[in-house]
Amino acid sequence: MERFITNGLKKNACFSGYKPLCFPSASTAERRRGRCPSALTRLGLFSDSEKQALIMAKSNASDAQALIRSLRSAYAATPTNLKIIDLYVVFAIATAIIQVVYMGIVGSFPFNSFLSGVLSCVGTAVLAVCLRIQVNKENKEFKDLPPERAFADFVLCNLVLHLVIMNFLG
Amino acid sequence: MAASSETKGEGTLRKAFGGVLGFFILLLIGALAFSIRLFSVIKYESVIHEFDPYFNYRVTQFLTKNGIYDFWNWFDDRTWYPLGRVIGGTVYPGLTLTAGSIWWLLNNLNIPLSVETVCVFTAPIFSANASWATYLLTKEVKGTGAGLTAAALLALVPSYISRSVAGSYDNEAVAIFALIFTFYLYTKTLNTGSLFYATLNALSYFYMVCSWGGYTFIINLIPMHVLLCIVTGRYSPRLYIAYAPLVVLGTLLASLVPVVGFNAVMTSEHFASFLVFIIIHVVALVYYIKGILSPKMFKVAVTLVVTIGIAVCCAVLAILIALVASSPTKGWSGRSLSLLDPTYASKYIPIIASVSEHQPPTWPSYFMDINVLAFLVPAGIVACFLPLSDASSFMVLYITTSVYFSGVMVRLMLVLAPAACIMSGIALSEAFDVFTRSIKLQLPKLFESPPPGSGDIDSAQDEVVKVDNKAATDKSETAPKERPSKKNRKKEKEIVETTIKRPLKAKRLLVLPLEASAVAILLLIILGAFYVVHCVWAAAEAYSAPSIVLTSHSHDGLHVFDDFREAYAWLRHNTDVDDKVASWWDYGYQTTAMANRTVIVDNNTWNNTHIATVGTAMSSPEKPAWEIFNSLDVKYVLVVFGGLVGYPSDDINKFLWMVRIGGGVFPHIREPDYLRDGQYRIDAQATPTMLNCLMYKLSYYRFVETDGKGFDRVRRTEIGKKHFKLTHFEEVFTTHHWMVRIYKLKPPKNRIRGKSKKSKSNSKTSPSNSRRHGNLRKNPWQ
Repeated sequence: MERFITNGLKKNACFSGYKPLCFPSASTAERRRGRCPSALTRLGLFSDSEKQALIMAKSNASDAQALIRSLRSAYAATPTNLKIIDLYVVFAIATAIIQVVYMGIVGSFPFNSFLSGVLSCVGTAVLAVCLRIQVNKENKEFKDLPPERAFADFVLCNLVLHLVIMNFLG
Repeated sequence: MAASSETKGEGTLRKAFGGVLGFFILLLIGALAFSIRLFSVIKYESVIHEFDPYFNYRVTQFLTKNGIYDFWNWFDDRTWYPLGRVIGGTVYPGLTLTAGSIWWLLNNLNIPLSVETVCVFTAPIFSANASWATYLLTKEVKGTGAGLTAAALLALVPSYISRSVAGSYDNEAVAIFALIFTFYLYTKTLNTGSLFYATLNALSYFYMVCSWGGYTFIINLIPMHVLLCIVTGRYSPRLYIAYAPLVVLGTLLASLVPVVGFNAVMTSEHFASFLVFIIIHVVALVYYIKGILSPKMFKVAVTLVVTIGIAVCCAVLAILIALVASSPTKGWSGRSLSLLDPTYASKYIPIIASVSEHQPPTWPSYFMDINVLAFLVPAGIVACFLPLSDASSFMVLYITTSVYFSGVMVRLMLVLAPAACIMSGIALSEAFDVFTRSIKLQLPKLFESPPPGSGDIDSAQDEVVKVDNKAATDKSETAPKERPSKKNRKKEKEIVETTIKRPLKAKRLLVLPLEASAVAILLLIILGAFYVVHCVWAAAEAYSAPSIVLTSHSHDGLHVFDDFREAYAWLRHNTDVDDKVASWWDYGYQTTAMANRTVIVDNNTWNNTHIATVGTAMSSPEKPAWEIFNSLDVKYVLVVFGGLVGYPSDDINKFLWMVRIGGGVFPHIREPDYLRDGQYRIDAQATPTMLNCLMYKLSYYRFVETDGKGFDRVRRTEIGKKHFKLTHFEEVFTTHHWMVRIYKLKPPKNRIRGKSKKSKSNSKTSPSNSRRHGNLRKNPWQ
């Protein structure tokens, strides 16, 4: 994993470095799903010969489609309670983004209000992510941590966070 | 100093016994940490020390008298005349609030202690707390044995003693405790992954922000560690839980402290944490996606996630750089810049460079301040790598950065001291561990049968388990102590699953010859004894002087110089309550706290121009100086003079800084004018500018009357100009040893100056001063 990140950093997001890796994997993934779109095989042929901007864009698009499909199917397997937490996180982040956009339009004059608004959303999201990490059954590290305890910690931390925010709101 | 063995026998009784023993050892360590800092009270008296503590004491008095709300809104008009100072918004309130609440609690329990007593003993109490926090931190890193050793070392370390003797009522006293405790909670969160500890961590960080400007060290060190973990592939969900809530909560809590305020999100010192906050989210997302996708599909995802991540990082980086570049100082405050570039302060900010504790330390000061720990630290670092856990990598990072910072500024030796203690504690404990284990393994063999050979490692390896049960009974005292450590280490090993095999094997192999280990234990104990002897000496002799009362030993006994308090008491009793007293900024806090008089500048050096004005007045000739002081409503001028008794940190020795700081704002003051061929001197070779400046005159006025020659015992020379009169100032008070001299500004004259009239008007305006007839022609400025 690190190898990819460092590669990416070094090459400054140049796609050519990943090409041989991406295409076969994408097509195999497709094949495994029992469908073999002709576009992908064609692209696979092209990728061996030449690298062109057009093809790259197309391949990226189809890659992304395949990726989103597999992500969706993988995500469908997550338990409902984790999905609820995810929804909560998305909602919090969306609220934060709305506030930042609003700040961009109106200005950040009562800076403490803006700061507490955004950080309240970000903090909520972060704490929810922490809770999600802890109650996720697939995380082996938190096996012996009961979800009730995790939730109690979450509530406590939220309490502290929002007390601070109420104090800071001004 | 617990040793460790391979005891596997059960016995909850022994575990309980070990727990109780460990508790009592900790209690004793706390008592030791408290009592070793009482030398100053025993040798001198229960008094607040030095300069800054007087300000803190005054603020605490205000807090206990007027309550918390008045404290937050306190505008102090007795300093920085005519500007005043908003105390509530410019002070780190942690120390004051701590002492104030201790006082409040004690008074509510009907224990009538004075505020001063509470203030004097706050630092020793918190050093006991700090040694317990050290125990906890080291226990998280390397187990109980190392924890106890490190706590004992920290209780004694001279560097910390120098800042926390009884009476040294300064921010660092509580801040070091807060620093260590924050680090403990961070490592605890890292080891357990509990959100509860993360919350506590943020609160402890809040306490640190309240107490000391050094909190930026924490908010930079922890992101560095997180980044290190990510780069070395040690990212885990625990890391996320330890870091992400800390940034959000910590930033919010830091903004609550008035002195920090929006700086918590606006200055560069904090940007590293936000950057790492973003990075850790990207990394967490990558790990999450890696977890739910098949490896092949993940490779596809990597491309996209990496591109998006890099794009976000680049955008944020660009925003940050734009923000930073738009601010004039690039967002860094002077003190932080002088940390990164050690020559920065001396080049640009004389007011920071002028403080001796902001200078880089010398090599002997390392030996003085951390003594034998300096030699043990490398061993501790090595021990931290076997096995390398998240917590121990944090300690390695902590010691490395603090060594760098201590090399920049002698004051930050204080940050190095806990790290050095923890490292040495680990080293000592591991060494004892190895030696006692090899003794334990070989002792029974010695009795049962002649040993086949001391280097016989393989047979020793086989007998490890067999021998253990016997060995455990031998050392009934040390064995129970390390039982929790064993447990802890096991827990650690579970976490670091990759490294589980190697250390176990190494542990089996590490059997040293019996004689060698016995000698080594002896040597280590001697080393510890040297350390203890040095620390007690440092606490008793070097660091317990309050510097407000001075003593000197000579052949005819002990001399006590109590001139400062004498002078401040004189001011308090003989001047009007609204009189303004001018002195160099060092004495500002003491004057407001002890004499209760308004001062022009004080040790909170927030307004450089104001200080430069006083510096200019001190370096100007009498008349311009009088004009400057008169424009500031100054009634009295106070100078500290050590020439008679040989007190080296007096105003003449600080004078070049006054010239530099004054010249930095008022260019007509030029440093070369005061130097003869680049040398600072006050004898007959000195420049006329020097001999005519106000500081020289106020210091050496009538000095020749003491011994007839005017021999300055600090500079070890006869002064350059011996007989002169003052025209615009009159001496009103000089203390017993001439250490503090107070002058009064003469009122302006009514008549136009003429040589014949002047002596008349002089004697008329100040009839009390009988020494003041004389030929004024001797004064070149008339």
